[in-house]
Amino acid sequence: MALFIVRRLLQAIVVLLLVTMITFALLRAIPGNVAAAVMGPNVYRDPAAIKLFDQTYGFDKPWYSQYLLWLGHIAQGNLGYSWNLNQSVSSLLGQRIPKDLVLVGFAIILAVLIAVPIGMLQAVRRNKAVDHFFNGFSTVFYAMPSFLLGLLLILVFAIKFPVFPAEAPQGETLGVIFSNFNAMILPIATLTLITVALFSRYMRSSVLDNLTEDYVRTAKAKGASERRILFRHVLRNSLIPIATLLGLSLPGVFSGALITESVFNYPGMGLLFFQQAQKQDYPTLLGVVIVVALATVVGSLLADIAYAVLDPRVRYTS
Amino acid sequence: MSMPVMPPDPSLGLGLSAGLTSVPAAEAPPAEAALPPGKPRSAFVRGLEVFVENKLAVTGVAIIVAMLLFCFVGPLLYYGDTTVVDFAHETLPPGAGHPLGTDQNGQDVLARLMTSGQISLEVGIAAALLATVIGMLWGAVAGYFGGVLDAVMMRIVDAALSIPVLFLALVIVTIVTPTEPVLIGVIAVTSWLTTSRLVRGEALSLRTREYVQAMKVMGGGSARAVLRHIAPNAIGTIMVNVSFQVADAIALVVALGYLGLGIRPPQEDWGAMLSSGVQYVADGYWWLIIPAGACIVIVITAFIWIGEGLRDAVEVRLQRR
Amino acid sequence: MAPLLEIEDLHTEIRLRSATVHALEGVSLTVEAGECLGIVGESGSGKTMTALSVMQLLPPGGHITGGRVLLDGQVISALDDEAMRHVRGNEIGMIFQDPMTSLNPTMTIGDQIAETVRLHRGADRQVAADRAVEVLGLVGMPRPAERIRAYPHQLSGGMRQRVMIAMALAAEPKLLIADEPTTALDVTIQKQILELIDDLRKRLGMAVILVTHDLGVIAGRADRAVVMYAGRVMEDTSTLRLFGNPRHPYTEALFAALPEKAADVSGRLYNIPGQPPDLTRPPAGCKFAPRCRYAQDSCRAAEPPLEGGWDHRYRCFFPVGAASDDAGAAAVAAAERVEASRQRAARAAADGGPLVAVQHLVKNFPVTAGAVLQRKIGEVSAVADVSFAIAPGQTFGMVGESGCGKTTIGRLIAGLEKPTAGSIVLDGENLARLSTRERRRRAPKVQLMFQDSYASMDPRMRVGPILREPLAIQRIGGRSEQQARIDAMLDEVGLPRAAVERYPHEFSGGQRQRLGLARALILQPKLLVADEPVSALDVSIQAQILNLMQDLQRDLGLTYLFISHDLSVVRYMSDVIGVMYLGKLVEVGPADDVYYRPVHPYTKGLVDAIPVADPRAEQATRQKGVAGELPSNIHPPSGCRFRTRCPLAEDICAEQEPPLRPFTAAGHLAACHFPLRAPEPGVASDAAVAPGQTA
Repeated sequence: MALFIVRRLLQAIVVLLLVTMITFALLRAIPGNVAAAVMGPNVYRDPAAIKLFDQTYGFDKPWYSQYLLWLGHIAQGNLGYSWNLNQSVSSLLGQRIPKDLVLVGFAIILAVLIAVPIGMLQAVRRNKAVDHFFNGFSTVFYAMPSFLLGLLLILVFAIKFPVFPAEAPQGETLGVIFSNFNAMILPIATLTLITVALFSRYMRSSVLDNLTEDYVRTAKAKGASERRILFRHVLRNSLIPIATLLGLSLPGVFSGALITESVFNYPGMGLLFFQQAQKQDYPTLLGVVIVVALATVVGSLLADIAYAVLDPRVRYTS
Repeated sequence: MSMPVMPPDPSLGLGLSAGLTSVPAAEAPPAEAALPPGKPRSAFVRGLEVFVENKLAVTGVAIIVAMLLFCFVGPLLYYGDTTVVDFAHETLPPGAGHPLGTDQNGQDVLARLMTSGQISLEVGIAAALLATVIGMLWGAVAGYFGGVLDAVMMRIVDAALSIPVLFLALVIVTIVTPTEPVLIGVIAVTSWLTTSRLVRGEALSLRTREYVQAMKVMGGGSARAVLRHIAPNAIGTIMVNVSFQVADAIALVVALGYLGLGIRPPQEDWGAMLSSGVQYVADGYWWLIIPAGACIVIVITAFIWIGEGLRDAVEVRLQRR
Repeated sequence: MAPLLEIEDLHTEIRLRSATVHALEGVSLTVEAGECLGIVGESGSGKTMTALSVMQLLPPGGHITGGRVLLDGQVISALDDEAMRHVRGNEIGMIFQDPMTSLNPTMTIGDQIAETVRLHRGADRQVAADRAVEVLGLVGMPRPAERIRAYPHQLSGGMRQRVMIAMALAAEPKLLIADEPTTALDVTIQKQILELIDDLRKRLGMAVILVTHDLGVIAGRADRAVVMYAGRVMEDTSTLRLFGNPRHPYTEALFAALPEKAADVSGRLYNIPGQPPDLTRPPAGCKFAPRCRYAQDSCRAAEPPLEGGWDHRYRCFFPVGAASDDAGAAAVAAAERVEASRQRAARAAADGGPLVAVQHLVKNFPVTAGAVLQRKIGEVSAVADVSFAIAPGQTFGMVGESGCGKTTIGRLIAGLEKPTAGSIVLDGENLARLSTRERRRRAPKVQLMFQDSYASMDPRMRVGPILREPLAIQRIGGRSEQQARIDAMLDEVGLPRAAVERYPHEFSGGQRQRLGLARALILQPKLLVADEPVSALDVSIQAQILNLMQDLQRDLGLTYLFISHDLSVVRYMSDVIGVMYLGKLVEVGPADDVYYRPVHPYTKGLVDAIPVADPRAEQATRQKGVAGELPSNIHPPSGCRFRTRCPLAEDICAEQEPPLRPFTAAGHLAACHFPLRAPEPGVASDAAVAPGQTA
């Protein structure tokens, strides 16, 4: 087991390095002078400022040493400086990350808690009314773009029947977020619903696959009840592929979070990214990409570890 | 490794017995002259049969056909020109002359829906096809050659997958102005990753199929293996994937449009329609949102149904009957 | 005394989407307490359906539509699911064919066994766990207290089946139903498991229903036997009487189709023509009539009732009476066969050099692991210095159990693997030296026939292109010449020419094997490697294919390398047999010589372990066979690889690997320090000798 974790860690590190290379390549792909892009076109009148900028940030050196320099910065937690917002990227992200943790965290946990029973129910009552109902539900929510869902929720629950506020809490600190938790309901609901749509489909097909396995027949032959077979045998085996899928779907959840944040004006990383993209604030953009990629890689790693915990065949390979 | 005896399934048996020989058996020739009844059905035809039986899949196809007609033929029959701004008639609710009302520029919403649909569908389908081609090439090379090349190529895919598609697309779009071809390229570039994984998996598993080995024993080479045996058998899975890719591509282009980073005005796609309509939500001008939203949901759902129908059809082909 | 289990006129149907399969029609049988009943039949006979109907474990769409099942006088077929749960696992235990998939991979074996106890005895965790250890010890698992925390994938096939048996017995049921319990296991392990079941039956006073397609298994273990065909009971009597005097033509035909009976019918197997009937549209009258060589019109008009003397019932208007088994004549016949095959082997060897000479063949497979890139951490020694020769026109049979390397040797010769060392010389050319580019040159010389012709044919191609492909690759002939060859080949294998239009999936198993043969032979190779060509077929179809192969060999002058785990089939087909164990060739020689007078203890164990369709012979081989489990071939035992399971092993066996040395003048060689018999006088048996050279 320990060996397995070590192996996965090494793989994760390799992937992370590649991510940094990709983002660095993107950074270099920006046409024109980086200094101009960051500080605004007026800087062209001031060559000395450009030179200073380049020297400070190493843009006058060959690309491989730039990369290493940049990598070194990141490793030390220095993600650059946002000229546009006049803040270091790290501190910007430091404010935003907890907000995302709340939004994305709640959404994923709720989604799993809802999708697993629904998926199981659908599989057990295959092709009956319940199955078709949830199938329709999951198809519609999967097909619906998240912003549309958000808009609809606002339309219904904030405008027509004003139950929840249309805008998410704007506060800087988490405390403000939690004291206005009412306003978090709709954004979390949006993100949760689209995630549930995806997960319940996976769960349904995983449970269906397991229901036809031979070991279910053996359990029946032992005299186990349907209930027992479902919960003590099938459930655990069905969750195994779900763990990996959870890891793989993290990027999608972050994308969904970006849109949700822009619909509800929630000050998370996604909204930051969107706003700064329009202003071409590259340091911030790249900082967010690195952090999100890191989160995805870590999430995948955790998912794979969960997979190993659930599946003894992975733990003990003889 | 054990050697199980796998009995053939007689309950779906051919129902014919060979001609009787009443001669004491040892001398009679093996009377296996019976052919199965019916005409030969190729794998393709069998798959098609299953697909056609699937009501949702057929509905999906019908919807897409209808939508293509709506978007491309519709403007020829209805309002052709949707670029003239007419502030005198802005934001009218549905009524005479404007079945779906008008938008904030005075344009007829129904007409706008058609022309916006053109963009959304074109970009979505083209991007998905392009992504599939890139993914196929990448995955086939990785899967076929295996070894270090495969490991490196797939690690790159893993890394790129760690970056959410939307983020990547946004960054690219801020660098380059999104005209329609650019949009297609951006979405394709961010979507080919899952296809490549799929194709690589297929290439790996098909490489070890017994019929490829049998061909090797006959003296056949790699080229023959790939062209005659691996590629045709991977087509099914790829087709399934294309369908889902289109659904995802349309969702992505619509999301970009909503964020204002899609196609630039005066062209609009459904996402941009939604984006401009959002401002009027509080006023209750539902016709600025619901029609475009409905079109999006319907089209994506249709492609999902088609994809699932194709998946079932392909699985049937892989089974014995 | 009332029987323990009574099945009265049971009817079972399976409702599919498009049709209804009449799986069982009017099945009646009884099982007494403590007895072992064998239900034997081929696929589709209904034997498994009967077992599942008793347990009410029918597949989706399955229903009991008539008749009843009584356990200890109580009707269990009418019980609802909740009541039935008290019967399952508690009064009746059941074990299935494939222990790997039949065990939950994410639960420890201890928990799975304890589950039975907790369900039916209401025991708490500790009591149940103790019982699990106890039962695991009962089924012969070494160190049970340690092993209960193991997971199924960590155990070998035989061990897993023992776990299944433990699970079924934990609540002390009165009846154990075993559905093909050993089909997925190696022959030597098979024997161990069957002995275990028998032993437990006697110790626990339990009744057993043994469901199998293998007549030999029935002969050895069952007190009574029931033969089923097309959902009906065809014959029902004691085992001795069934084998000594079968009355139903189907039973008789089954015996005649067995390779081990072949010697009585001058070398040719009786094959039952046709296929089992389609059970969605069962024929009127006797179900076996369409394939029965004695059938009359009255057979097709009405179905015969199951009748006969009290202890021997059969469903036939015109029963047969087979000749009784004469042990004395059998022994003489055996000696004659030994002599005949020796002469054949000698003649073949004298006819000039061998067609194929394999020298010191070695094949190792790397075992890899690694975090980011794969590194080699060990090697599987699949083939370890094997040498043998095949004479032209001969059939060389290679036999052994899992991991012995026989399949690898076949693949090496056919060119699908490259040897790590050694040479394969065919027609003067060393095939091992050919690069992959030169592979095309090898093809006309050596071809391969696969076990599963379905998997070995591209499902998207029709038969015509499939058969044409080898010709196209070899650039032989134009369109018309190729077509002529294809037609001729189809005629040879007994398929209609119109088959070229069809797809492989449209044919039955036996027909597909014919296609496999046709494709392999269309290039007219000198050597055909047949890897388990009949293992996936029913006995009656098997006979058809074996007969065909023999005919083709005679007509076309072919040489076969026949690879199989089934020693009786190998013995029937081969002139020379080579016995492999864990990558080593332990014995080789004329077929009947090796079979009837084995020298190596493993060969003897293998021969003893095979279930033969002769109750008296089975009795004689009780308690014999091979003990223990197969060692890993990543770390094979030092010296003689068989020593860990050999009753005759001594220290020298661990220190020195025994060389292959001759024991007769006719090329019978074995590698053993303590062989079962001494070399014949006049044979210089000290030095190691390569097979194919007579001393």
